[in-house]
Amino acid sequence: MLKPLASGRWNFTTAAHLVNRAGFGASPADIEKLVAPGVDAAVSHFVDYEKIPDDTTDPAWAKPDPERAERFMTARRAGEEERRRLLREEQQRQRQRMVELRGWWFERMASGPRPLQEKMVLFWHGHFATSVEKVREAYLMWRQNDLFRRQATGNWRQILIEVAKDPAMLLWLDQAQSRREHPNENFAREVMELFALGEGHYTEKDITEAARALTGWSYDRPGQRFVERPFQHDKGSKTIFGKTGNFDGEDFIGMIVEQPQAARFITAKIWKFFAGQEPADDLVTALAATFRKAGNNFKPVLSAIFRSEEFYATDIIRNQVKSPVQWLVGSARMLERDLPPPLVCFGLTRNLGQDLFAPPNVKGWEGGLSWITTNNLLARYNEAATLVQGDVSTLAGTIVANNPDVNRMVDRRMRNVRVGSVDVKKLFTEKERSDLETLIPALEKRLLQARLKPKQEKVLRDFLDSRKDLSEEDILTAVRLVMSTPEYQLT
Amino acid sequence: MKTEITFQTRREFLRSTLLGGAIAWTVPTFLANTFAAMELEAAEKVTQVATGRDSAILVILQMAGGNDGLNTIVPYSNDFYHRARPRIGLSGNQILKINDDVAFNSNLSGFKTLYDAGELSVIHGVGYPNPNRSHFRSTEIWQTASDSDKFTQTGWLGRYFDNACSGCDPTAAVNIGRQMPQAFAAKTPKGVSLESPQNYRFMSSDKKEPGEMTTEESFRKLNQIEMTENSGGTIDAIHGSATHGGSPLDFIERTALDAQVSSDKIRAVASRAKSDASYPGSQLGNSLKLVAKLIGGGLPARIYYVSQGGYDTHTNQSGAHDRLLKDLGDSVKSFVDDLKEQGNMSRVVLMTFSEFGRRVSENASSGTDHGAAAPMFVVGSKVKAGLLGQHPSLAPGDLFQGDLKFHVDFRSVYAGILESWLETKSEPILGRKFKPLEIV
Repeated sequence: MLKPLASGRWNFTTAAHLVNRAGFGASPADIEKLVAPGVDAAVSHFVDYEKIPDDTTDPAWAKPDPERAERFMTARRAGEEERRRLLREEQQRQRQRMVELRGWWFERMASGPRPLQEKMVLFWHGHFATSVEKVREAYLMWRQNDLFRRQATGNWRQILIEVAKDPAMLLWLDQAQSRREHPNENFAREVMELFALGEGHYTEKDITEAARALTGWSYDRPGQRFVERPFQHDKGSKTIFGKTGNFDGEDFIGMIVEQPQAARFITAKIWKFFAGQEPADDLVTALAATFRKAGNNFKPVLSAIFRSEEFYATDIIRNQVKSPVQWLVGSARMLERDLPPPLVCFGLTRNLGQDLFAPPNVKGWEGGLSWITTNNLLARYNEAATLVQGDVSTLAGTIVANNPDVNRMVDRRMRNVRVGSVDVKKLFTEKERSDLETLIPALEKRLLQARLKPKQEKVLRDFLDSRKDLSEEDILTAVRLVMSTPEYQLT
Repeated sequence: MKTEITFQTRREFLRSTLLGGAIAWTVPTFLANTFAAMELEAAEKVTQVATGRDSAILVILQMAGGNDGLNTIVPYSNDFYHRARPRIGLSGNQILKINDDVAFNSNLSGFKTLYDAGELSVIHGVGYPNPNRSHFRSTEIWQTASDSDKFTQTGWLGRYFDNACSGCDPTAAVNIGRQMPQAFAAKTPKGVSLESPQNYRFMSSDKKEPGEMTTEESFRKLNQIEMTENSGGTIDAIHGSATHGGSPLDFIERTALDAQVSSDKIRAVASRAKSDASYPGSQLGNSLKLVAKLIGGGLPARIYYVSQGGYDTHTNQSGAHDRLLKDLGDSVKSFVDDLKEQGNMSRVVLMTFSEFGRRVSENASSGTDHGAAAPMFVVGSKVKAGLLGQHPSLAPGDLFQGDLKFHVDFRSVYAGILESWLETKSEPILGRKFKPLEIV
């Protein structure tokens, strides 16, 4: 079983680790506030988030749009030119909403009251990686995001069933197209390979049989919701995982969750997401046992992870590569600044290789070291200047679409956007702002919650020393420089 | 004794270190490589031969998602084809005939032109034994050139560099895009990724007053690695440091140094190259245009990697697939024209691949599901143009679970490219002997 963290080890460093991993980081003052109450209270603050009221309102368009189907009808009946115009208009509307939706979610992550809930939404989005590139409708992407939020730390069987019936997923993995005569295997395959069991824990035969069990689960386009079509369901006998019966979709998902491998697969993935490393085999066994004991619910597993000695091991702390979203949201929080406008947030994370609502494929983002290429590392260093000094030149030439016209339009808009910069007085006391010997430790505590190498500290000191009057601008440059180190890319 | 190094003085550093002893194992990739080369006392020579201006260049074009080979090279006169694909089967003006049996999809007019000019070969029915129908696993198999039941960490191009070019520079392999392809993974990783040269640098704009340090100077110093001479270390230890052998911090530090070195170099090269060639405005078009620029500017890279996504056509395949193929054919044609204009076409071979083909029968959604064998294309002025290999049979009795059976193992294609084009032994790279397909 997981060992509880020794109370003597709960301090600023371990509290910062919890805040960075269970949430998106915080100012030094907010981290300090979690130290005194102790680890249990701090973990409970994150995990028992239902106690914290959340009055965020949904985007205005986040509801079914019965006219959408009509608009497509009208377009289809219209002449060639009119049809194109209407479709372009619809595309434009969806694109605009997607920018808003990303901004809405970024805002929840950066300043919402329930950081762990949003962190889990991010986990589920990477896990059930669904892309708007195929779904093509902002409302459905929002709806799936909302499902991840409602079920963020819920029950595994329930989550899998709701995801299987989620409209965006029905479209993404083609379950919407599955017919009794021609079952589509896409969802049946991925739910076992990527979502719940992993390669090698099912057969090709299981896939074709499961696809039959899932027939009848479909999508009602005009109503924009899940529908069960009994006449499309294959009522015949199927053999899955060696058992035979007249299984339907819920039976199949229940059978997946019962597989011994199911508990190991998903808890190992959760551990990797939060701890940043593949868990050793006996740790997986312990996590899976906790999960089973908790009736396949995630909340007790998260509680156990965040209270465990293992989670605060020295090779776990500050050893995870920040995802681009973590980089952006975490930076805004540590810099105590507002997020830039939605379009800029979209551009910044996309340039770093993570485009929310558009993962590269159904396997999601690979994460870890793969975030770091020569290109993306330079982009992180340059985007630090955007966040700290409001320099938007780094966003020039951002490719947001395959269509060059759209790229040019976005490029023009980016150039006129105001990003704002950081308020130095908010971040550092007057003494820190005038004295290098206190400024450098304050920079490190705020941005890294750890120290740089002595040689790097010396470079910072030499840089600031060479600037005669230590102006606000110089201090901002020093902030940007700390963010332009390999160390800052880790959390 | 501590030795501080900067990019500008790395040669001096290496010389002094060579005399003074070995370096710690956290050495960044390019230093380790250059160091290994100097160990042979022929650094200049090795680097020139391996990556020099006049060497052969290979461009890999990934068609991600699983390209439907049967609607790409169409067996238009085959009854089984039309029976299996009543809705999406192609005929009439949708095809450009090659012979009495097969035709290009008409959107591949760019390829047809190259084919007729003797600059394109079509390899029929490429695949591997026990095909895997998962995108990720099958892509991994193609990238690592492993058997379908074996897992390999390093990529086939990474192993090429490990074997044939251990002394070369980080820019020996260039990926256009954000994420490094697994094919580049190596014991001592090589290669850089970039999207556009103008953004591929550390940007800062401060002006320097006398006595002040600029942001850029400070940045360079902050991103240096402290080198400690370590009498316990050996050169073998350097060779042995695996891709992810060190900590994440080591990895990022190495990448930071590679970024600085390659940024200086790539921007210099890209600014030298002038090109008026026009390409499709797509991502693939832009990627190939940049590759042509880097080749024209004389970047000493041997491998370029570009990709085009969207081939996972489960639903209403026709329009989407046609647009992808049009983009593919037109972009590659523009690339060839551009290289000819530069006078570099004879140095370049371009090879396409996709993780699998698709099911012979269309599905209920006018799309196709994941399949197996499919054609590959190889383009170049020195390639054996024409149709290579045998088209797999579409007769229902000849299929395996509804999929085409392969005739050519993709590793034979790799072997052919390695042996005849990159002029290196394929066996150490592919793990065993595959009969090289005579393509070049």
